[in-house]
Amino acid sequence: MATTHEAPEKLGLLRVLGPAHVWALGVGIVLVGEYMGWNFAVGKGGAYAALIACWFAGTLYSCVAMIDSEVTSTVAAAGGQYTQAKHIVGPLMAFNVGLYLVFAYTMLEAANAITVGFLMDEVAKMMGTDGIDQRPFIILAIMFLAWLNYRGVLATLTFSLVITAFAFTAVILLFLFTTVLSGDSPMRHAELMTDLPYGWLGVLASMHFGLWYYLGIEGTTQAAEEVRSPARSLPFGTLAGIMTLLIAATLTWYVCVGLMPWEYLGQAGVPLFDAARLSGSTSLMVLLGIGTLFATLASANGCINDASRAWFAMGRDHYLPAWFGAVHPKYRTPYRSIIFLVPIALIFALGAPLDQVITFSILSGLLGYTFMPINIILFRKKWPLDSIKRGYEHPFHPIPSITLFTLCAVTYFAVFLGYGTQLIAMISFYIIVSLWFHFWRYRFVKRADQFTMPWPRPKGY
Amino acid sequence: MARYTPPKQSKLGQLIDVIVLLVLAIGALYLPLWMGLAGSTKTPVPQDAPTWESLGQNPTMVEKWNQLGFTDPAAASDMITARFDYSFSWISLAVMVVVIVGYFVMMVRFSETEYREVIAEKFDGN
Amino acid sequence: MALWTFLEYAAWGLSALFGAAIVADWIKIDTTYSEDVLTSSREGELEALTEQQHKA
Repeated sequence: MATTHEAPEKLGLLRVLGPAHVWALGVGIVLVGEYMGWNFAVGKGGAYAALIACWFAGTLYSCVAMIDSEVTSTVAAAGGQYTQAKHIVGPLMAFNVGLYLVFAYTMLEAANAITVGFLMDEVAKMMGTDGIDQRPFIILAIMFLAWLNYRGVLATLTFSLVITAFAFTAVILLFLFTTVLSGDSPMRHAELMTDLPYGWLGVLASMHFGLWYYLGIEGTTQAAEEVRSPARSLPFGTLAGIMTLLIAATLTWYVCVGLMPWEYLGQAGVPLFDAARLSGSTSLMVLLGIGTLFATLASANGCINDASRAWFAMGRDHYLPAWFGAVHPKYRTPYRSIIFLVPIALIFALGAPLDQVITFSILSGLLGYTFMPINIILFRKKWPLDSIKRGYEHPFHPIPSITLFTLCAVTYFAVFLGYGTQLIAMISFYIIVSLWFHFWRYRFVKRADQFTMPWPRPKGY
Repeated sequence: MARYTPPKQSKLGQLIDVIVLLVLAIGALYLPLWMGLAGSTKTPVPQDAPTWESLGQNPTMVEKWNQLGFTDPAAASDMITARFDYSFSWISLAVMVVVIVGYFVMMVRFSETEYREVIAEKFDGN
Repeated sequence: MALWTFLEYAAWGLSALFGAAIVADWIKIDTTYSEDVLTSSREGELEALTEQQHKA
């Protein structure tokens, strides 16, 4: 066992990741959205509404990815958007953004664990049991991934890379074998598609779950402190990720609505697995079953990684108790943050219904996307393009910001239509913790030390 | 200008801060659940002795329902007829807009004062 | 079915095992190293640190 003086005097996270890991982190978190959850958008507004939502949400996330890539190529520190907010908007905003990140990812992790339990139950039922106790499988998923994360980031994200690649290939294969490669295609789009059951209001409403196709892609920035060359790898991994997801989302929609009546699809627990079942091929069914399991694990894995980085970064700055800012001397992971978030994920995974947990996650994400246009506009204003070197500059500024802002407003309305009470409860929560932070917690924070980037003085200050 | 030196927080103080945050966070999700205000429920429209025709399903749809394990139209009836209620009041919409906009305005304002302090200490400090 | 009952127990057991492994290591680390070393990470100091280690 290492003694105290064998460890370096200063501990830090390790720079060991490459662009493929960034891609795996981003896509790995999100791809599960194709395997479950997106289809609630079908329930909200019908099949066509879900496609429109898919593309509008795709536009929203393309803006997110571009804006995020520009800022993050200059702010290479764990905490991602939290650290961006701290340098660009201010401490209270940063505290809120940090909490958005932690809650969005921890709730998504809980949703993934719930899905693992559900999938196990489905498989057990198909094998002839009356259903099983899902809890041990939910807990095992969380405990195993927490353990993996605890033991080091390289193994964690290499694991993610392998299972994400598998899950993505499974979607592509399902598409190929149900369309071009099968002589008698099981697709029945002409007979199964209906008019919009709720009219255009349903299209708006389906934006709520439309986000689920892509939610979490912005998590790539959390790896900033562990990537070998962040200025190059982060924009590359993020933008490659959003392209992968646009393809996967559209294919998923196409396959699923061609195989199932929308009323069923709109409430299905594991739609791609159902689609594979309906394709009539046992090997496709097994493939997509494993794909579902892998996608949920990859997602939960990335979520633990991202949530703990954000929590850690806040602890390091004393926004949260400094105790959380600890780094494991051997594995170089924010181990206390990882441990702390395990019981929280368990509470929600075991105690709350899936759609509520997803909504909590989506809302936290949505608040984060609303912050991004504010962030980039202030960034360009305080540090114009010629003042600091950026690894990536996003085009057509400020059009992406305005687009993103408008789409966020639409999505708030969509959430309001179905989950207005949660929306208000959640914003009230953020208002209360903001006041708590501003009037109490902020006294423990060193002022100038928070600003760590080697940037010149912002314009106008 | 003078540098601000934060007070050292005791272990107990750190613990209390974490508990406060946790209680607030869990409360925000579970309160609406306990109060039964959470989420939108779909309301099915029950039919007496539903048939696939009365449920508006064409032969292809029926085939798919059968493959999914719904051989009896009565079993699928609730799923097919259930609809969300999207009616809303303009007052609650206005309340939501005020709350969200107010939240962001408050946050940006407070952040701005804190930020000026940070910049001043960072670039003018000693 | 016996297989699934077995799998349930296995899942409980493995969960406990992973949990125990994490907690054991956590206690070991927290008692071996001083708090100052553990919380010595600072934002933005990483580049300097990695370079130092490569040289060493």
